[in-house]
Amino acid sequence: MNTALLFIACAAGVFFSLVAQDFIPPLTLFGGARVLLVPVFFCLGGLSLPFLLMVALAVWTGLLCDMAYLQVVQGKIEIAIGWSIFYYVVVGAILQGLRPLFLRGHWELHAFASGLCVCAYLLAQFVMISFRRFEDGFFLNQLVFWRILVPGSIAFLISPAVYFSLRPLMDRPVHRRNTTAYEI
Amino acid sequence: MRAVNITVVVIVLLGAVILSASGRRSMESMHSGYIAMASPFLSVGAAVKSFFSEKKNTDVSEQDVAALMQENSQLRTRIRLLEDLQEENRKLRDALGYRERSEFHLLPARVVSREASTWWNTLMINRGFEDGVETDMPVLTEQGLVGKVTVVSKNFSKVLLITDENCKVAARVEGTNEKGILSGVRVQETGAGELQLNFLTKNANLQPGQKVYTVGVSDGVFPAGIPLGTVKSFRTRELDGQALVIPAVDVSTVEDVFIIVGAK
Repeated sequence: MNTALLFIACAAGVFFSLVAQDFIPPLTLFGGARVLLVPVFFCLGGLSLPFLLMVALAVWTGLLCDMAYLQVVQGKIEIAIGWSIFYYVVVGAILQGLRPLFLRGHWELHAFASGLCVCAYLLAQFVMISFRRFEDGFFLNQLVFWRILVPGSIAFLISPAVYFSLRPLMDRPVHRRNTTAYEI
Repeated sequence: MRAVNITVVVIVLLGAVILSASGRRSMESMHSGYIAMASPFLSVGAAVKSFFSEKKNTDVSEQDVAALMQENSQLRTRIRLLEDLQEENRKLRDALGYRERSEFHLLPARVVSREASTWWNTLMINRGFEDGVETDMPVLTEQGLVGKVTVVSKNFSKVLLITDENCKVAARVEGTNEKGILSGVRVQETGAGELQLNFLTKNANLQPGQKVYTVGVSDGVFPAGIPLGTVKSFRTRELDGQALVIPAVDVSTVEDVFIIVGAK
């Protein structure tokens, strides 16, 4: 029952954070970096939900992100709908490997996963549009690093708040010393 | 990993690949569907945002109100004079048998939100196809061009800002015969940003402060004469000249815009 509720909470969190983050202004102090909340909710689901529910959450998250940020430029789609599903399924599968540790109470894994997930997502987007807009080609400068690292750091800092607010819905952490990952 | 899990992942990934191969129209309708799904929440967000901005605006002093009222009456008077001139112009055109030039209808709109995407500069406005908005319609303020509509849903539209690298506008420089293509820069420090005017002649020798306007090419998106910005600097490259332009409109703070919805 709790697992189903957690899935619904993560799915709702993804949707509402996708809408809410558009109302958060860019951080001018950090090169205009944006606050991205969606991966924070996804990573929590990826670390705490069973595999099939994680896949369902990845499909939901990826589809919503792609639909929300679809860019039509001179009649052409810049990044096609579907790539984020691919991304979140792969990230979710990696997170499932850390799930036993997470369920043992290592909540900090969620913070690291959220930060890395945001950075990797932004970097992947940047690489894709760089290849697409071949006129200016691929470049990396300090501003690009800020734009990638700051949202990741913010996700890292925000994630404990999301974790602790949804913890009542999670399976009780197991703290037995002799428990192996397979037993969980 | 169990076989069933692997099968599910393979099916989902195949589905994602098939989805990414679907056509532009279906992707656009999915995007519009998302905006429709999110629109109740966008409306709530916009209302909250406007409540706070109105609260901030209550600090306006009586002196400011008096100045604004005076400006308002001046503008009303000027509009009346211009209406007289427009009528006179129409009569003279009729007398000369000129074809009436198309006039544009400006639809006011309010900025609802700014997309939290890192690499694109877009914003959402509270007008959609129910208000007659279509894709590629120009969006502007009294100061100059803001961008163009790229996606339209029932009550909301997405605007690609001129500060985006993908928004390319044919532009001319005041007082010269120089014409070029104006576009944004992919990553900029501030939302207001700078624009680059490319494909100028090498001997253009533009000076800082010169104004840049839209050219208004036939079958183009933007009508002629809309202010785009002012030249900040000019440099020659191997094959052409390039000017950096400061936008006429600070798109990072703009709240009220107009959409040109076609002939009156």
